[in-house]
Amino acid sequence: MTHSDRYAMLLSALPYHGPLFGAKQTPLSRIRLNQRLALLDPVEADCLRHARRLLEWAQQEPDRTDAQAVVRAKQVIDGITNPFIRDLVTWRLEMRTLVAALRRRHRGESAPRDRRWGFGRWVGRIMQHWNEPAFGLERAFPWLPEAERLLGRGATVDLERLLLGAVWNHLESCSDGHYLDFEAVVIYVLRWDMIARWTTYDGEEAARRFDELVEQAMAGVEKSLRPPADALRTERP
Amino acid sequence: MNEFIIALGWTGLFAPMALGAIGSVIGCAVAGQAAIGAMVDTESGFGRYLGVSVMPSSQTIYGIVVMFSLQRDVTPETAPALFGIGLLSGLALLFSALYQGRACASAIHASKTKPEIFGLSLAPAAIVEGFAVFAFVFALVLAGGIPG
Repeated sequence: MTHSDRYAMLLSALPYHGPLFGAKQTPLSRIRLNQRLALLDPVEADCLRHARRLLEWAQQEPDRTDAQAVVRAKQVIDGITNPFIRDLVTWRLEMRTLVAALRRRHRGESAPRDRRWGFGRWVGRIMQHWNEPAFGLERAFPWLPEAERLLGRGATVDLERLLLGAVWNHLESCSDGHYLDFEAVVIYVLRWDMIARWTTYDGEEAARRFDELVEQAMAGVEKSLRPPADALRTERP
Repeated sequence: MNEFIIALGWTGLFAPMALGAIGSVIGCAVAGQAAIGAMVDTESGFGRYLGVSVMPSSQTIYGIVVMFSLQRDVTPETAPALFGIGLLSGLALLFSALYQGRACASAIHASKTKPEIFGLSLAPAAIVEGFAVFAFVFALVLAGGIPG
């Protein structure tokens, strides 16, 4: 059995996922996916686990600063031995850097002064071209102008759809020539993660959570504005 | 020098059988693993998957037939022809079995999701088989022209 065919069984045991935006649920449950991934070589399974830990939003620590996240990402990527996964993870983090830059600029921030706010080869260029539309990178990233427009309009769902679509298409182009090998497994798992993320988005739940957060914030504001009881008593005639 | 030429003749005599068998081993293993994986993921059509996965075994049979058609006294006169026909037909059988195994694995993978394309998905594997048959038939034709 040649190197490029050794995951024929694993890949045939994974159900077809279909298109991202048509999916109602993941093609198989997380437990079953993990059971099937037990067929991977331990070293390759480790690489995949590291990559997913870096890419899945649910596994990110929200208290970490950008600089700490960048240092951590570099450490993890240096530990990934498979060049295909390393390139894929690097591409995804560079994409997130671009989106982070768009969000910063949308908030009215000026160009960051040191390079530790983002990851990858575009950080310096973004800083240099901070005030240009799409940071002058629209040829390399054709989705950037559209993302900028959607962000400006506040169309967050459309923006999310655009970004996930760009990642999906990138994975599609990376899958060329990989049919029964480890790289095909990686692409499948990353797509499974995207479907899991997209299908768990719930508009009603998001609105409920938003209301909760607003109530919490307003309760704090009301408390701070309300005069103390003692003060009210002394003011009475 | 004659001993070397005779050794090449014997190599050519057994090459179609040996190389065809190596190709069939790899091809059947790849397609067979895909079939097992498909069985894990589906509830029916198991026999169909197994049937497809043994397609690359035909190259071994072609190899055996070519070997018998080449079989004759190995002499300095016949050895070069035996070597050339045997080795090249063997290589053709090896690679056809290997790539047919991949084509079968892809067919199993695709038809598992879309059973209605089962027949059509076998077309690439059948075309690869066609090239193996070309190599087989013309090896037989040429073998008839070797003296002895």
